[in-house]
Amino acid sequence: MMASNGTSVRAVSDADDRLIAAEEPLAGLQLRCGGDLPGTIAVPALLETVRKSRHYRLKLARTLTAQDGTHAVSAWVEVEPRRDGEPGCEIMLRNWRSAPLPEEDPTEVASLHGEIDRQLAELTAQLDGSQRLLTVEAEAPDLIALGKAMEGGIGRPWTEFVTVEGSSHQQPLHWRLLDGVSVIVPGSQRSWRATLLPQQTHEDEPDGFELLLAAKEPLPQRVAEPALPARKEQLAPFRNIGREIAPVLRLPIARIIANAETIRTRLAGPLAREYADYAADIAAAGQHLLGLVDDLADLEVVEAEDFSTSPELVDLAEVARQAAGILGVRASEKNIAIEIAPGEEGFSAFAEFRRVLQIMLNLIGNAIRYSPESSRITIALADEGDHVQAVVTDEGSGIAPEDRARIFEKFERLGRSGDGGSGLGLYISRRLARAMGGELAVDGADGKGASFILDLPAFSAAERPDEFTNGKSLPRLPRIADLRPAANDLPAAGETDQD
Amino acid sequence: MARYCYAMIDDTARPETVDSVEAVLRERLARDEATAGTIAPILRHLLANEDNSMFSDEIVARVRGMVGDVVRQLLNRQAGEGPGEPRGHSGQAISAMTDAVIGNSAFLGHVHALALEWQLTERLQQRLGLDPVLAPLLHALIASPEPGTAELAMRFLASQARFCQAQRRMRLPLTELPGDILHLTLIGMRTQAGGEAAVDEHAAMAEMAIRASYDEGGSRLGLLSRLVIGMGGGTVAALSVGHAGVAIFLSALAIAASQDRDLAALSTNEAQLGRFALLLRSAGLKIGAIEEQFFAIHPDIGVPEGLDRLSADRAAALLAIDASGPG
Repeated sequence: MMASNGTSVRAVSDADDRLIAAEEPLAGLQLRCGGDLPGTIAVPALLETVRKSRHYRLKLARTLTAQDGTHAVSAWVEVEPRRDGEPGCEIMLRNWRSAPLPEEDPTEVASLHGEIDRQLAELTAQLDGSQRLLTVEAEAPDLIALGKAMEGGIGRPWTEFVTVEGSSHQQPLHWRLLDGVSVIVPGSQRSWRATLLPQQTHEDEPDGFELLLAAKEPLPQRVAEPALPARKEQLAPFRNIGREIAPVLRLPIARIIANAETIRTRLAGPLAREYADYAADIAAAGQHLLGLVDDLADLEVVEAEDFSTSPELVDLAEVARQAAGILGVRASEKNIAIEIAPGEEGFSAFAEFRRVLQIMLNLIGNAIRYSPESSRITIALADEGDHVQAVVTDEGSGIAPEDRARIFEKFERLGRSGDGGSGLGLYISRRLARAMGGELAVDGADGKGASFILDLPAFSAAERPDEFTNGKSLPRLPRIADLRPAANDLPAAGETDQD
Repeated sequence: MARYCYAMIDDTARPETVDSVEAVLRERLARDEATAGTIAPILRHLLANEDNSMFSDEIVARVRGMVGDVVRQLLNRQAGEGPGEPRGHSGQAISAMTDAVIGNSAFLGHVHALALEWQLTERLQQRLGLDPVLAPLLHALIASPEPGTAELAMRFLASQARFCQAQRRMRLPLTELPGDILHLTLIGMRTQAGGEAAVDEHAAMAEMAIRASYDEGGSRLGLLSRLVIGMGGGTVAALSVGHAGVAIFLSALAIAASQDRDLAALSTNEAQLGRFALLLRSAGLKIGAIEEQFFAIHPDIGVPEGLDRLSADRAAALLAIDASGPG
């Protein structure tokens, strides 16, 4: 160990943090670290301290540690802006200590080299014990030809496909002689280095090898183009929420809800009430998330340019009864009665059954959500000649006249939050009604409950308008509206989202 | 049902047609809602973590005290007075300067680390009878035949005594801040200068005066680093908290493991056992020595299993990944 205790080492830097004068041993360290004298400070820790001192205009004092390849150096360094007014800093080092670096463990060095080569390799291949190709994977554009050739030559020695520089011997040589050789790759301007990493060594002779080809220089940037189309393909599905994302999300969310419900209902054993309540919160949040996923998928569908429906004969009274039945449990939880005016039959609409059901579920669900306990929701049906009508009326606080246009806007929630809505339901319902040639509107006296009026073309009067016959029908995928009752069947306290 | 799901949706959808008063109130309500929503998690965190003392009432009070002291010094200097003179500042000025100072996370982290260091110092005094100022190692350093070392040790002794006094009074002199943190704090002070030419000039002069009089090497932390560096191969002696005392131990740990001293102080907390074990290992301590340190600081908790199989290099690498990774 070399130590210069007690004595101090002085140096001066300029406005650009260049060392303009330095005593030994700092001067020597500067040169061994690859710097010049004068020249920018080459000891990273010292440069940082000097830079800060100059910038902060503060006298700083730090420990300095550095190494020059053979020795580890530590010192106490004090740096202050020059007092003579010149830009730059005065540097003083004390307690200079220098000790040889410990020997590196050769096996660790070898494994590090292997790691580095793996990171840098642009072609990797698996070889058997006789260096014959088993698999090959090439990434760089200038290696594609080689990769193809090797793929066609599985089972042959890898040395047949490249030229080993400076060797005219019969190939392949022993792997230790080939590890680290330079090779010439046909079709590539770059020079390459081969690395052979032995695998599963038994009695000195490896069972196989990993062959890595690393270039000695990087490829010019512009050649990277061919990789792009593949990326685009990967990204495209993410625009397709309904078809790709929603089904993937629905299963794990349903599982979260189901498990949270298991906890809530203490099926797996006794539990403190607070935890059961948390589980109920989780389930409710999960239900909301599920509803949101459904609504976003719906939104995507109804906003698509080519969206159309497949109209058929639909009994509006039957749809209303089905929707009321699906939501009956939820209504009874709030002691709400859903009444369909008796004896109403045969209101035949020309529309798509599941879409009408979706709208009715939305309207009745909203009515339940915003109705007071122990109230009544009525569904009246009317035949208006060329169209049929379903009117859902609740006894809630109603919709103020000035809000009536807004509630059909996307994400509009009239300032409400925390009730499980996404602000998409009515927007989607109106889009669906209009796509079927109908309309969804709101009426009702302020403060006396809201009436939502769904108009649909009557089947009898339907002229099979162009937009029904010309439009492409949607593929019959399992759809949100079909799945919703299933989600409700979960023993959930929460609500799905249908405002 | 949880509220957090909707905030974003509502924000994007606020229609232009709404009366502006209503819009403003709605926005305020949303903010209030957000604040109200944070009550439970923060409270829960504080209640659940009472044991591990990282956010105990004592620590928070000490942090608040030190922040207040720094704010007072900055305002005094800005008003052209000496750092020690007590003076009334307007509540508005104090609150604005406090915001500027605590907006700097590095500063907060440092003050928190000092509070933790002091808490540990007091605990070890109670439990092990370890003198907060004069630990056995410092005795030995003061008695060193080498005049440089002895003088440095004496200077540190005085500085450590001042630190203890300041901690008891929850004070933190500006000159004791590390250079980087002082720099950021002064930048924060500059943003509070105010706009009046006379005030600005005062502030600029105050800042220049603070910078000119600062000497990191003379601060307690500076002296500590120099003392530890000066020990060279003897650093191992400083890596025993019972022998070196908390202050020297933390500096030695930070230097030996090439980590920030504030992180080393943080690592002594019950909630940072993994970091503490890795720091000790990365500093090159053998498993037996690590067990001793655990026993001194966390008498009820054992060393994480398998630590002896981890090399010092791997421990350092893990810490480096932690420092560069998210969070």
